[in-house]
Amino acid sequence: MFASVKSATLLGVRGSQVDVEVHAGIGLPGFTVVGQPDEVCRESRDRVRAALLSSDLPWPTRRITVNLAPSGDRKSGACLDLAIAIGLLAAQGLLPVEILAQYAFIAELGLDGSLRPVRGATPLVLATIDRQTVVALENFGEASAATVTQVFSAKTLFEVVECLSGRTEWRKEISKKTLINKSKVVTDLADVQGQPVARQALEISAAGSHHLLLVGPPGAGKTMLAERLVGLLPSLTDEQAISATMIHSSVQTEFLNSGLIRDAPYRAPHHSSSMVAMVGGGTSLMRPGEISLASQGVLFLDELGEFAPSVLDALRQPLEQRVVHLARARTSVVMPAEFLLVAATNPCPCGEGTPGSCTCDDAARARYLRRFSGPLLDRFDLRVAVSRPNTTDLISPIAGESTSVVAARVAKARSLAFSRFGCTNSTLTRQQLDSAAPLTKKAEELLRKELEAGHLTGRGYHRVRRVARTIADLTGAPQMIDETHLHLALLLRVDFASGLRTRAMQV
Amino acid sequence: MHSQNSTIKNSLSKDQIAAAALCALPKIGPKRLMTLLKHHDPQTAWAVVQGRAKPNEVVSAMLRVEGLVTLLRHRATQDLQDQIEQRCIRAGINITIFGDENYPRALFADLAPPAVLFYFGDLSALNSRRVGIVGTRSATASGRYLASNIAHDLATNDVCVVSGLARGIDAWAHRGALRALESQPAEQFIGRPVAVVASGLDVVYPRENAQLWQDIAKQGAMISESAPGSPPEAFRFPLRNRILAALSEVLVVVESRDTGGSMITVDEAQKRDVTVLAVPGSPRNVASNGTNQLIQQGCLPIIGAQDVLVALGLDNRRAQENIYDPRVRLSTSDQSLVSMMAGSPFTFDDFVIRSCLATIDAAVALGRLEALGWIVENSGWWEVIEVRQPLH
Repeated sequence: MFASVKSATLLGVRGSQVDVEVHAGIGLPGFTVVGQPDEVCRESRDRVRAALLSSDLPWPTRRITVNLAPSGDRKSGACLDLAIAIGLLAAQGLLPVEILAQYAFIAELGLDGSLRPVRGATPLVLATIDRQTVVALENFGEASAATVTQVFSAKTLFEVVECLSGRTEWRKEISKKTLINKSKVVTDLADVQGQPVARQALEISAAGSHHLLLVGPPGAGKTMLAERLVGLLPSLTDEQAISATMIHSSVQTEFLNSGLIRDAPYRAPHHSSSMVAMVGGGTSLMRPGEISLASQGVLFLDELGEFAPSVLDALRQPLEQRVVHLARARTSVVMPAEFLLVAATNPCPCGEGTPGSCTCDDAARARYLRRFSGPLLDRFDLRVAVSRPNTTDLISPIAGESTSVVAARVAKARSLAFSRFGCTNSTLTRQQLDSAAPLTKKAEELLRKELEAGHLTGRGYHRVRRVARTIADLTGAPQMIDETHLHLALLLRVDFASGLRTRAMQV
Repeated sequence: MHSQNSTIKNSLSKDQIAAAALCALPKIGPKRLMTLLKHHDPQTAWAVVQGRAKPNEVVSAMLRVEGLVTLLRHRATQDLQDQIEQRCIRAGINITIFGDENYPRALFADLAPPAVLFYFGDLSALNSRRVGIVGTRSATASGRYLASNIAHDLATNDVCVVSGLARGIDAWAHRGALRALESQPAEQFIGRPVAVVASGLDVVYPRENAQLWQDIAKQGAMISESAPGSPPEAFRFPLRNRILAALSEVLVVVESRDTGGSMITVDEAQKRDVTVLAVPGSPRNVASNGTNQLIQQGCLPIIGAQDVLVALGLDNRRAQENIYDPRVRLSTSDQSLVSMMAGSPFTFDDFVIRSCLATIDAAVALGRLEALGWIVENSGWWEVIEVRQPLH
């Protein structure tokens, strides 16, 4: 009359184990789900009933209570369907209760008795890591890649019942058809003609995980450059891959049967994106935002000035802490936000920017630049002016270096950085910086001059040294930082408001 | 109210107040105002627009426009007079009427002289030789340097620099002229700056020039044809440009696009047979399109204040000591980099492409040239500074 089956639900990017307890007792026939189910979860009653009847399995004419323990937490989604159906069968004595203790069930049911895939297969499977898990066929690739324990898949509810009662074996092979490897659109750095500085900035950005701001007129290729940055990043380690897959799996609508995400993700949200879309939250599910989805990869904000100022300033704290803490009345979650921020903007309202050909007056330029708060601009280690490539470069048959060549250099520089303190250069602390990036006499003098001239803030001083460290790593100078590295680091940190200050123009 | 005001020292005469109030009336532009004041004294003219006095034949013909008489009668109130008077007194604005003793002589014989002028400061600044400097509002850095340096050198030669106090070239010309006053010994004669503005003198526009506005009022003169309180409306600027052209013996265009305010000033200057000089620029530089076109049409090109002095007949090249450039001489390779990039603003990208250097070497070269003062950075763009700075 009673059975307990394991399953899991999703909150944020993490799964949590749920005990589905089914009790079939005496009373008027009825079906109640308790334990804070949401609307989708409550509707499982109708799906389960239809699925059981379609599969020629009996529906008990008794008073049925389904409890989702722990009953204090909200449960959402349809991923508990299969567990409820199995629990119902066990409560009727049609399945042996002892065997069920070894399994967890994560799948949605169709009215015809088929198993449907669910969102968040990776986090859900990881929540039930102490036992074997049964998932829908479409979830198998992802689930089996994510966990070390055995994962079984089936096409229908009937198949699950047959396997559990020992009448047939679990499927061994997954047909090639369901394991689709999504063909990636390859964007190669060789497509970028000319623009040596922007290319160099991309390389430095990828090697040291330095946030990058591209400023240039329309048609300069800012978006094209940003898209190519992601190709320069190394593929994800196992740990990073699981973390990235957990986040993507919890929001995706199409189901990756290819297993874990191995390439650095690239997200480019439109500038109308809301605060919730950007940082996460929203429904009681606590959906991860774009900054979490871009974790381990690149977050590209095109037309930075068009984003709502509140949205941009919300990025400041995750940029520093590399995680985002979301608190709501009922729940609070922590989601990863380890992204590389790349932004693009025009230099002024008319877009031209070049002194002389720009038609904006100083006041309009100042107003435009005021949209980016100083603290946000200061967090970009690299600020680069991008100009339109000239005609000879555009039609030149000589392609630039390709992604694979540059990526090899990036990988080398990254491993050099990791061998020092186990992190990228952009996250070095000040103490680490002093020991990892010692300055030559000349370099020290140059930095002192820049500080005295007021071109650098205190924060800028350390950021320039971090970028110089990466430049030195890329040029094969693992020890001292000399003034050539610093010159480049300083030039890649353009102050776009400098022309507006009369101080700089004093004759 | 009148008895109170009469106690203040720089009180205005009744004629002046009436003339000022006429300026503030709608539909009374420079031409109508001139006609009114040519045929009536200011107080009678005020009575005429109020409908209290009989107009002269010419004036009555002028007023015979539909609705004009009614509109003027409706607006020409004692209130308006009091308001204008209050504004003048509060801001310390002086008034001079066509025919007055201190009315600028340069305007007296003009094609379209303003009938009433409002001013701050001292109109005797206009008694020295006068050069107008005009140019685009969105100037390049080297344009700004040039405007400032030419104005400075002219002022040290006792030339009065006249400009419009707009953004860009105008403001920098004024700054250069003021700098000459600051740095020169008192016994030497220094030309004083004169600004001709479009809005009322108590309406500072553009606001970023507020400090300049004050400095010029203190050191030289500020002139406006618009009544106090007039906003900087678009139609006032071409009218202002006509006064600017009329006040200039020689007009210098530093940087200008092929359309815009500076070109209107040039047209006005050519109507008055004022010599127009233009600073040539690189054909690549959009900000120099207008000046290059002027040169193509036959304007004399100039490259420094000396050329302007020659145009004024004040050639003192032989009298002056050599101009000294304090910057360190460049090595041959640096010199070739500088001459390669001179002319128009360039980005770091352009520099790397044109110099064919590796990015890191290019960065070092740029840093070196900047430290030596041969190039400056301007919001992400770089410019070569070729102007030799005078020693002072």
